[in-house]
Amino acid sequence: MKRFLVFLVLILTFVVSAYAFKVIMVTDTGGLGDKSFNDGTWAGIQMAVEEFGLEANVIQSYEQADYIPNLTKAAQEADVVFAVGFMMTDALFKVAPQFPGTYFVGIDITPPEGSEYPNVMTFTFKENEAAFLVGYVAAAMTKSNIVGFIGGIPIPPVERFRYGFEAGVKTYSELHDKDVQILKGYTMVFDDPKKGKDLAMSQFAEGADIIFHASGACGNGVIEAAKEKFTALAGTSDLAGLIDYYWKNGTGLFAMGVDADQDYLAPGAVLASAMKRVDMAAYYGVRDAFEGTFEGGMKVLGLKEKGVGISPMKYTKGLVPNSVIAELYYIINLVNEGILSIPITQEELDSFSVPEIEFPF
Amino acid sequence: MKKRIMKINLSAFIVPVMSVIIALLIASVVILLIGKNPLIAYYEMLKGAFGSSQDFINTIVKTTPLILTGLAVGFGFRAGVFNIGAEGQMSMGALFATIAGMNLGGFPPYIAIPITILSGMLMGALWASIAGFLKARTGAHEVITTIMLNWISYYLGNYMVAGPLSVGSGTPKSPEIAASAKLPVIIKSQSIELTPGIFIAILMAIVIYVLLEKTSTGYEIKAVGFNPYAAEYGGISIAKNVVLAMAISGALAGLAGALEVMGLHYRYLGTLTSGKGFDGISISLIGQNHPIGIIFAALLIGSLRTGSNAMQFAGIPKHIVMIIQGIVIFLVAADRIVKTILTYRKKHKAGVEK
Repeated sequence: MKRFLVFLVLILTFVVSAYAFKVIMVTDTGGLGDKSFNDGTWAGIQMAVEEFGLEANVIQSYEQADYIPNLTKAAQEADVVFAVGFMMTDALFKVAPQFPGTYFVGIDITPPEGSEYPNVMTFTFKENEAAFLVGYVAAAMTKSNIVGFIGGIPIPPVERFRYGFEAGVKTYSELHDKDVQILKGYTMVFDDPKKGKDLAMSQFAEGADIIFHASGACGNGVIEAAKEKFTALAGTSDLAGLIDYYWKNGTGLFAMGVDADQDYLAPGAVLASAMKRVDMAAYYGVRDAFEGTFEGGMKVLGLKEKGVGISPMKYTKGLVPNSVIAELYYIINLVNEGILSIPITQEELDSFSVPEIEFPF
Repeated sequence: MKKRIMKINLSAFIVPVMSVIIALLIASVVILLIGKNPLIAYYEMLKGAFGSSQDFINTIVKTTPLILTGLAVGFGFRAGVFNIGAEGQMSMGALFATIAGMNLGGFPPYIAIPITILSGMLMGALWASIAGFLKARTGAHEVITTIMLNWISYYLGNYMVAGPLSVGSGTPKSPEIAASAKLPVIIKSQSIELTPGIFIAILMAIVIYVLLEKTSTGYEIKAVGFNPYAAEYGGISIAKNVVLAMAISGALAGLAGALEVMGLHYRYLGTLTSGKGFDGISISLIGQNHPIGIIFAALLIGSLRTGSNAMQFAGIPKHIVMIIQGIVIFLVAADRIVKTILTYRKKHKAGVEK
């Protein structure tokens, strides 16, 4: 009897593990630990894993040439395969048609023209809308009237962050008669914090006091630079000390985070983050596959869908004047109602003119 | 005399093999420390590198450029130049192979393929001979100049795919090369493809072996490598041979880039080399700078890399492989350690038998 029970349990575990719904996420070369994009997706998958009791695994890629082999292997083993990051677009659409029985979710991926498959769902984000908000805050908060932008490789999502940021800065400047200048630079990679730090240091040296980054793991260096500079200025690195210094002297040096809520990386020295809710997208992807409501095609998440936004500024909210926060919420409403549209291309940015916004307060 | 040569060959073979074994042992301690079973890890790794035809193709695809960058660096070593610039030369080779390949649409493959390959090799050779020329003419050390040239090629490549050559959305990339300039696919399994690039790489290893061992040019290059002043005294031009050695070394790295474009990506990408030029340094070390040894060393690193991707499916981080690779290189570079262990055991055994 006992032996029979053991046997039964063994069979059961075997059956369960063989049929367990399995999710495998393949990262781009940035990999886990970027504290933004890959980590955000992984967090979303974890959310779904806990809710539905699934199995999940993550595979990191060394180089571009690994994408196809890794996705292929993942597709052979899993029910849902995640391809994370823009760089994997071509590989995803080469592998996915080979496995019509496997669901593929592409995060931050736009399908190339003519490649729509029922088993591939991709998410992109209106980065410009999130960046507009942080741009607006940056312009409101800068004391030197110089803000910085640091991008990774100038690929479309990074550029959309820049368009939105520039438009946000411009909007605040015109509404409040402030002349704010923007320094721009690119690290040309996504995985080298040292490059981000060097670039941030040089922008601080040129007089910027707030730097927004959209550069993946390079941004860890940007944030480190802001923390170092602000700490040196204030003579302390703890949150209370930094805030005290700001109130006493009216200046500070800040970074602005991207993709995830990066405010916690250096409390006090990260003013706000332009968030892409990759975690929500990842969660939706797994959920739809698991519940059988999976729909192929591209989904674009913006402010309205709560797919992007500005971080709650957990540490720095006290520094930002209430009027700015109120204006921010008013603007979010205008975007949601379709009254204000935020430039999403270089042409739109060039022809962007600040609308007459009358704040009701 | 003959016996002596055999012995040298044997130890050249034993040191790398022993180093790999020791490295696997040390890494298994690390795997144990992170709470995983090293036997399962190595099994998954082996299976991931050779377990199925797809895995095997992946390993070969990864090995191909590594053979060539290994040869590039190894050839340089034999000629007494330390070419750290294989990375940049590979990138430049890939870039110019792409530019040539894009414009050869009107030609049949038997013309387009050789021209594309040659433009990659030529550009790699030119890029490397800048450093060779600077060394011969001004004495500037090639370690410094090739590192500088790496950066120039890196940013040039990034500029080209973000600017003049840029196409489409997505990853910054160049347009695809013409169909006639692509290497033919000999085996295709789903999206995994094998091209004859590996045969070209092995052929080059044999060519380099013959060049070094059987020709007077090779003799001159080696002589300059052994002792430049003695060579010069013997009537061999240092300047000529340094430039020539760098050019050949660069041509090999350029070929690596060209084959990556023609057989794998079909276009130029800014991140295409991803450290393979630097891997060439470790591979030539492990292969003891011998062209045939380099083939096996490249296969070792290539299969480790491919296997490490699969190892992740068993929940073991890919970085373990970096540890293994690091220890192997350390032990091969400090080959005295391994030799001491080996001779100690021999002595010890002899003592016991007595």
